[in-house]
Amino acid sequence: MEIARNLWRRKLRTTLTVTGIVMGIFALTTMGAMAEHFNVLLNGGITYVGSTVQVGDAQGASIGNGYMALSTLAQLEKVKGVAAVSPMVSLLADPGSGAVVSVTLPDYVGNIDPNWNRYDPLKLSLSTGRWVTNSSRGEVDLGSSIAAQFHMQMGDTIALPVRPSGAQPGFVNQRFTVVGILNPTLTAPDSAAFVSLDDAQTLQGDELPTVLQGHVDPYQLITGAVVYGKPGVNLDSLADRINAEVSTVKATKPSTLISDIKSGEAVFTVITTATALLALVIGGLSVVNTMIMSVSERIREIGLKKAIGARTRHILGEFVAEAGLMGLIGGVIGYALGFAMTALLNASDSSGGLFLVTPRLTALAIGFAVALGAVAGLLPAIRAARMDPVRALRAQ
Amino acid sequence: MPAMRLEGLTKHYERASQVVRALDGVTLEIEQGEFVAVVGRSGSGKTTMLDCAGLLMSPTAGRVLLDGVDTGQLSGRERAELRSRRIGFIFQEFNLLPTLSAIENVLLPLRYSGADRRAGRRRAEQLLDEMGLSGRASHRPSELSGGQQQRVAIARSLIGEPTLVLGDEPMGEVDTETAEMLLTLMRRIHRESRVTFLIVTHDLDLAAKADRIIHLRDGHLVGDERMECFGSPVAATAAGSR
Ligand SMILES: Nc1ncnc2c1ncn2[C@@H]1O[C@H](COP(=O)(O)OP(=O)(O)OP(=O)(O)O)[C@@H](O)[C@H]1O
Ligand SMILES: [Mg+2]
Repeated sequence: MEIARNLWRRKLRTTLTVTGIVMGIFALTTMGAMAEHFNVLLNGGITYVGSTVQVGDAQGASIGNGYMALSTLAQLEKVKGVAAVSPMVSLLADPGSGAVVSVTLPDYVGNIDPNWNRYDPLKLSLSTGRWVTNSSRGEVDLGSSIAAQFHMQMGDTIALPVRPSGAQPGFVNQRFTVVGILNPTLTAPDSAAFVSLDDAQTLQGDELPTVLQGHVDPYQLITGAVVYGKPGVNLDSLADRINAEVSTVKATKPSTLISDIKSGEAVFTVITTATALLALVIGGLSVVNTMIMSVSERIREIGLKKAIGARTRHILGEFVAEAGLMGLIGGVIGYALGFAMTALLNASDSSGGLFLVTPRLTALAIGFAVALGAVAGLLPAIRAARMDPVRALRAQ
Repeated sequence: MPAMRLEGLTKHYERASQVVRALDGVTLEIEQGEFVAVVGRSGSGKTTMLDCAGLLMSPTAGRVLLDGVDTGQLSGRERAELRSRRIGFIFQEFNLLPTLSAIENVLLPLRYSGADRRAGRRRAEQLLDEMGLSGRASHRPSELSGGQQQRVAIARSLIGEPTLVLGDEPMGEVDTETAEMLLTLMRRIHRESRVTFLIVTHDLDLAAKADRIIHLRDGHLVGDERMECFGSPVAATAAGSR
């Protein structure tokens, strides 16, 4: 094919141009993979919060300090439209991990919620082992990434919460045997350690502020509750009803949580868009430059082609195809490098990695590269195609 | 009806407020199947005349009629189509695309005319054969001598089965012997196909082998002679000045 040969003839220049595109698409692929990872994570969050009403302690009510009384569950169950209520106890599994601003969800210990798989659209399943039951003691089911992070296998023992390096003198933790490991969900449960409600409350009791310790029964305390609505019930209005009828708690409307998450998603969209713009500038300019040179070198060739019958659109097509081909080559290489890079980083990251290359991202990266090349080549190509054959033929 | 009629053909170039009268009222007729040489000093307007006749540019005044059709009345698109369907071009230099093989160069016009590629390929092979280049079909121009390159260009000018071939000094870049060989080749094709040839040349010895010699000077037609057989003028009609 003549187009490929024209590129091949100017190996060095083509290589430099393609390198520009490669860099841009490489950046786009890696940053895009990170954004995709978070989008899946956040979408999982949206699915979860969108199908439940999260209930917490009303500031300053009853026990306070962010704890709720277990007895509140009975009140919640009576609210119209409620299908089920699950107690929720959760605490940091690895308080010493130290990241002030973390890009991933923190590892947490939570109680196993018997209602989860019945009501929640995001189903949990075990890759191996069995579920912890309400009567289990000292047993844990680990999410896929937390298991990988601490190199836990079936039957291993893990102390939870993990002791931080500079632990306070009063720090206590409990030992748990791993009885099950969950399949990856790419969202929150991957970093969860699920124990029975009793065990979760024990751990929570160990962390109670000193003002409360000894004054309250830790087995009457929960962090919050998850309310599942009956089919067809508007969860936002259910949250309003809960707030009106149960004064000690504060129910958050799912729509509020969803918009919080969406604003997080927007950040990653900005990251991808910014990288795409970067790719546009680096790759685009190098293609424009190369194609301008290409056109001015081949003015006589253009004149000849026009003289022997080539139309404006033929010349235009040939130059745009040449630029698009450079885009395609650069795009494929840049994408391959980006893919390799994310795979490498994911493999070296014990928690499963920050990058997710989706088919959508693949199509975007390569399609973007081709379009970039073609569009950048368009202007020089138009100049070439419009050329007057006589003047072009006589050009020196 | 003449294959080509130039009527008061005039081309003025404007360059920095100065007007160059490259062609000034040239009128002539060429019959189908003639083999015509165009001679004249450098700057006399030969290339300009050929470019106008080949519809590569529009005259300032006057008309170009091909088979009776006034080409000035055609749209740019129609002119381009007429050009690719009826006219073959051979240029003095930079004739072949360096990235294409000999046969691909020959086939190039068909890429743009949308003709049947397979039939075209057979014809291209046959043309290269006639040019004595059967073994060179896959060679790049850089692997061919100047004379061989020009023969490829002649084959290319004929691939679209034109009725008119225009050559602007096709023998200008090769030695005398090669030039004679190229002309002989064109005469043979002419004899076999009766395509009209209009060939610009500096070389009066070569011109003498045409059926007819048109002489330009300063944009005017100053001589038009027909030869009965090679080298002997039959009639000398002076159109234009003097
Ligand atoms: N684009 C142009 N702009 C201005 N003047 C031009 C242009 N092209 C040609 N001319 C002038 O027009 C005149 C005729 O030029 P043309 O190229 O037709 O001559 P020619 O007979 O082909 O000469 P040569 O034998 O050197 O090729 C010359 O004086 C030339 O300088
Ligand atoms: Mg000339």
